[in-house]
Amino acid sequence: MTEERQGGIGSAAFFDAHQRQTVEAAMARIIPTDEQPGAREAGTGEFLDRYLSGVGFIYAKPDGSGFEKLEGKRAEAWQKRVDILRDKYVEGIKELDRLSREQFGSEFVQLTPEQQDHVLAGMEHPVRDSEAALEESRATAGFAPPAPALQQTSHEIHLEFFPLLALHTRQGFYADSIYGGNKDHVGWQLIGFDGPATLAETHSGRYTTRPYFADAEGTSRKGGDNGAQG
Amino acid sequence: MAHKAKPDRVDVCIIGAGASGATAGKVLTERGLRVVALERGPWRKRESFGGDELANVNRYNLWPDPLLNPRTFRESETEEPRVELFCPSPQMVGGATVHWQGWLLRLTENDFRLRTVVGDVPGTTLADWPITYADLEPYYTRVEWAFGVSGQGGANSFESPRTRDYPCPPMPMTRYAKKFHEGCRELGYNSFPTPMAALSRPYNGRPATVLSAFAQQHGDPTGTRSSALSVWVPDALATGRYDLRPDCYVHEVTVDEQGRCKSAVYQDADGDFVEQEADVFVFACGAIETARLLLLSRSGRFPNGLANGSDLVGRNLTLHEYSAAVGVFDDPVYAWAGGGYVAASSYQFYEHDDSRGFAGGCHVASAGVGIPLPINWSLPDRPAWGAEAKHMDRDFYNHSFAIGMVLHDMPLHSNRVELDDQVKDAWGLPAARITLLPHPNNQAMGRWVIDRNAEILQAAKAKKVYRVYPDRVTGNCSHQHSTTRMGNDPATSVLNKWCQAHEVDNLFVVDGGPFPTATGANPTLTIMANAWRVAEHIADGHKRPAGVGVGAHRNHTNKTESGR
Repeated sequence: MTEERQGGIGSAAFFDAHQRQTVEAAMARIIPTDEQPGAREAGTGEFLDRYLSGVGFIYAKPDGSGFEKLEGKRAEAWQKRVDILRDKYVEGIKELDRLSREQFGSEFVQLTPEQQDHVLAGMEHPVRDSEAALEESRATAGFAPPAPALQQTSHEIHLEFFPLLALHTRQGFYADSIYGGNKDHVGWQLIGFDGPATLAETHSGRYTTRPYFADAEGTSRKGGDNGAQG
Repeated sequence: MAHKAKPDRVDVCIIGAGASGATAGKVLTERGLRVVALERGPWRKRESFGGDELANVNRYNLWPDPLLNPRTFRESETEEPRVELFCPSPQMVGGATVHWQGWLLRLTENDFRLRTVVGDVPGTTLADWPITYADLEPYYTRVEWAFGVSGQGGANSFESPRTRDYPCPPMPMTRYAKKFHEGCRELGYNSFPTPMAALSRPYNGRPATVLSAFAQQHGDPTGTRSSALSVWVPDALATGRYDLRPDCYVHEVTVDEQGRCKSAVYQDADGDFVEQEADVFVFACGAIETARLLLLSRSGRFPNGLANGSDLVGRNLTLHEYSAAVGVFDDPVYAWAGGGYVAASSYQFYEHDDSRGFAGGCHVASAGVGIPLPINWSLPDRPAWGAEAKHMDRDFYNHSFAIGMVLHDMPLHSNRVELDDQVKDAWGLPAARITLLPHPNNQAMGRWVIDRNAEILQAAKAKKVYRVYPDRVTGNCSHQHSTTRMGNDPATSVLNKWCQAHEVDNLFVVDGGPFPTATGANPTLTIMANAWRVAEHIADGHKRPAGVGVGAHRNHTNKTESGR
């Protein structure tokens, strides 16, 4: 795998070099870098690679000291889920390259950002003519962005490759940094979420949002602006 | 899989240790009864919870994993059921109260007589309750004071009479609650601080609740929120009579020659089967899982499921589809502060009003947009990807909140829980199959209320308002009721007014199943108050002189005979 891969708990991986580069290139179009950091700076590729590496990085320990070791039926279910997701990624990356060659004569990573957007848009809205496909998209519409997940959790193994990739990019951009993405909290800073420094801060009860209540206007938990005024 | 030796018979076996089962456990053990509580899920301690959106909202850390606990859903009998995470609820000690933010609203007097108030609604099985608000009021008060509910008595001008104010003042006001109050005031609507299962001040030796962003859908590592796990379970354990057995999954409840419940047969954490006998069995699995377990418990006496000679077990299922109007504001509202649900409420649309053109009404309240944490926040027109999506995150995340509604689902005979004939769970038992097509009243109510919510947002000076109409059922809310309705007539109900099965006198149900109607309010306060009421009745009936036997509940209508 790539030599710049970080050590420690971040060393697990699933993708080969080409797969990793392709996924990272696509993620960089899903949350692009502009005057502010995007998916690439947040390390969403690292997040996803670690997720697909097995069942060792599913749940961080709540105090941030490492990851839970899954056992029994729970481990079996997660292994099954990860296997399903791996297949979706392996096939999806192949399809990305196939479409890229078909439309622009090169692999996805070789395309310009505009060409990449074109290929991704085609994957997002393929020509769908079967009632079954329509029904399936209705069934998942409530569980994935862009519709707000009003009270519900995502059901990711039922998603197709592109919405899955978009979902995982978002997760890698905004999840706690312990999962390998949201490096230096670039995701949280972008949107002005004044989250805890580490999982331990919440676990110990030190983390509070009290300064963001109505009667505490003008104060800040950390004594500085949180960049939330966008 | 071996069979283990039978443990000692006990007074009461409670199946489930969530909101309702743990309430019953506390009350029964404090009354001196010996209780075994069988909980299919783990007993997680507060140290195992954390502020981790990915794990808790997206990776089934607390939600049931659908690969292990699948459910299937279809709208009608002619449709092929599909596996969906439909109306899930955490399965563990404490149940859904482990990860809730706990809006503890009382019903009103008319909730108990809605059929009388509204009249016949064609196609529905709308019914009055066999109990009244006055019957439940003392138990509402007990739960509120045991939990330390933070609220303001009298602030809800539609509230029915209460004998006692809330024990703690309201929680601090969030910006999204303030905007809701402002919008309501502008329109002349009454609004009030949402009463919550949280402590605005130290109470009963417990510290005030920590106002984290990780609350709704997260367990509480500080133990400062009020829940079945943090209040009822410790109370019950303190008696020394509460034998709580986690990771014990009841596969069936058997009956004796008289057709009374004899034992719960469960699979323990080792995978071994154990048979627990008791005088009384209390079902507290949530309305869907209780119906499923009754249907799984077949015998010669009850070939169609325990206490189901009427074919009513599982029928009349009602839910609370959650939907909202969403507003975007110029100034930040920080909807993640406190977790998104330190809220303000209104019962302005709660009572039935003929002029609106639909039956019933519901509670509305301010909240974050869904789970207003970075991963799961969104707006209805946010693209899935690209620069515009990123800019919407940046510009609107801190500037948006929702006014949600608890859609009062009308009961239908055909809406029901059954056993799926194809899909099984990870233990080899048939999954619950939900068949549910909403009555047209739901859509009429949903559209009307969402329009009012949108007007409140506009009156609060939202610069943009979205209306998310609940036009179809997705099972996106944990609230579930009415699968074992209580009533006075065995031809139309499974349970009597004491939530005791008409057909099996030592079988009680204390979750949302007994609710004859869904009501328009969050149900758990009422579930816990009713469980307390039923548990007292069981305890009253159980204190009989030695030798009278275990048939202690047959004469429940004459409580003076129960020797309390």
